[in-house]
Amino acid sequence: MNRKTTILERYDRSTSVKAVERIGASAISNIQVAGRAVLLFLDACAHLPQIGRSAATLVRQIDVSGIGSIVVLSLIAFLTGMIMAVQTGSELEKFGVISNLGAIIGATFVREMGPIWAAIIMLSRVGAAMAAELGTMTVNEEVDALRVMSINPVRFLVLPRILALVIAMPLLTVLADIVGMMGGAMVASQMFNRPTDEFMASARSVITGLDFFSGLGKSVVFGAIIGTIACDRGLNTTDGAEGVGRATTQTVVLSVVFVLLSDLVMTSFVQVFLKQAVG
Amino acid sequence: MMGWTREQLEAPAPLSPVPAGKEPLIRIRQLVKRFGRRLILRGIDLDVYRGETLVILGGSGSGKTTLLRHLMGMLRSDEGGITVADVGQDLLLHTADTQALESYRRRLGVVFQGAALLNSLTVYENVGLPLVEVDQLPPSEVMPRVVEALRRVYLPAHEILSLKPASLSGGMRKRVGIARAIIQNPEIILYDEPTTGLDPVTVNGVNELTLDLQAKLGVTSIVITHDLDAAFKIADRIAMLYLGRIIAIGTREEIRANQHPVLQQLLTGSTTGPLTEAYLAGHHVA
Repeated sequence: MNRKTTILERYDRSTSVKAVERIGASAISNIQVAGRAVLLFLDACAHLPQIGRSAATLVRQIDVSGIGSIVVLSLIAFLTGMIMAVQTGSELEKFGVISNLGAIIGATFVREMGPIWAAIIMLSRVGAAMAAELGTMTVNEEVDALRVMSINPVRFLVLPRILALVIAMPLLTVLADIVGMMGGAMVASQMFNRPTDEFMASARSVITGLDFFSGLGKSVVFGAIIGTIACDRGLNTTDGAEGVGRATTQTVVLSVVFVLLSDLVMTSFVQVFLKQAVG
Repeated sequence: MMGWTREQLEAPAPLSPVPAGKEPLIRIRQLVKRFGRRLILRGIDLDVYRGETLVILGGSGSGKTTLLRHLMGMLRSDEGGITVADVGQDLLLHTADTQALESYRRRLGVVFQGAALLNSLTVYENVGLPLVEVDQLPPSEVMPRVVEALRRVYLPAHEILSLKPASLSGGMRKRVGIARAIIQNPEIILYDEPTTGLDPVTVNGVNELTLDLQAKLGVTSIVITHDLDAAFKIADRIAMLYLGRIIAIGTREEIRANQHPVLQQLLTGSTTGPLTEAYLAGHHVA
């Protein structure tokens, strides 16, 4: 027997259906963006042998993305190292194992915090600026002008930008690792009266070559992800200034999501498979 | 508009026979383009003769930019197409592969509405870009050609070579854009709204420059604009684009004498007429 639906039920159904539709449309749109970004990345890789022709742009991009990020990344890594040391150290002290503070801070930075902080700084500072720059070039017909002159925008604009991030990211990650541990060592010394030598020795006792190089490997992948998404969003900008803003926001959001997703996959691979294989 | 039906207003102008001594360089036949469900170009038929300046007039949303992007080889038609005469085999733009398109674009110079200079590069780097990136010439060969191109557009080359586009006036930026378009000695120059947003003196300067380049270089020019004064000053022939169709084409005198209500509204600047009706019907958002 059919029962007449109430206004409230009809309202709930329509809003819930709309919400599901919106989520579905957003998921499809993000998958499309990811697919297009993969194609863009492969296209850029195909132009890699011609990178010599864009050497000046590459150097300028490394300068902008890498050198320009040193101060802010150092500050954030140093503060994070200090905060982690304060939080963790006070708990370790209760159990009388404060001497292990260096191991915890060191391993956390080398495996996760270093690459992740470098990625967060790069995507928010450099990725967003890159998307805005390429977006503005797109709406101002500068990219069309390149195509009409038979200059491939992927070779001329995209490749040097992605490569600059791929080169800069591991260097910034090493910097974040070192500065973060320095912050932790300072707290260990000033708050918990533990010598810096002990902190560093503790860190060295747990950090393996695999930890260090897997962190660097992650940072390379993060750099490629951020650069590719930023360039893809920039080159697909429409609707003038509003579109440039949208491209910038999408770059930050998508980069965060895909950096964390890839981190999960790579960390699982390293911890579950690679460490067992290495023994 | 008295006595004109909708069909008569939108009826395409018939292709005229090629005059003696003229040779079509570009032939556009039944060009149709849709974006989603919107029909933007509804069967364009047009010949562009070698060495002439053809001005394509049209209101907002008439399909001017879409037609221009087809001529640049940046859009593929849904039906019909564009044929460009070439030594040997003619080039069909709508089916051309990447290599053929690149070869066609080397015969092409494009002057964009906002000049489309790369803001991160200097004037020298902008104008010399096709020589460095496409022809891969050494700086010793690029510099004299950049200076020559800037001289042709009446710019003080040595004073502005190291400046960035942001520090130039609108008129200078436009001239630098023209210098970049002519530096590879193109056979065809496409102008997209070359005088939009410029003051009257600079507009006259750009018009004279267009005439000057045609006289000195003998190029074929296609100018997309809604600037009537400029059109009547520089055109050998004028084509009127209305709702995705060429509805009138002829010499300046023929266009002035044409009683088509769309042309008459454009010529008189009246606020009532078929152009206004098209805007109100939402065709201008195409």
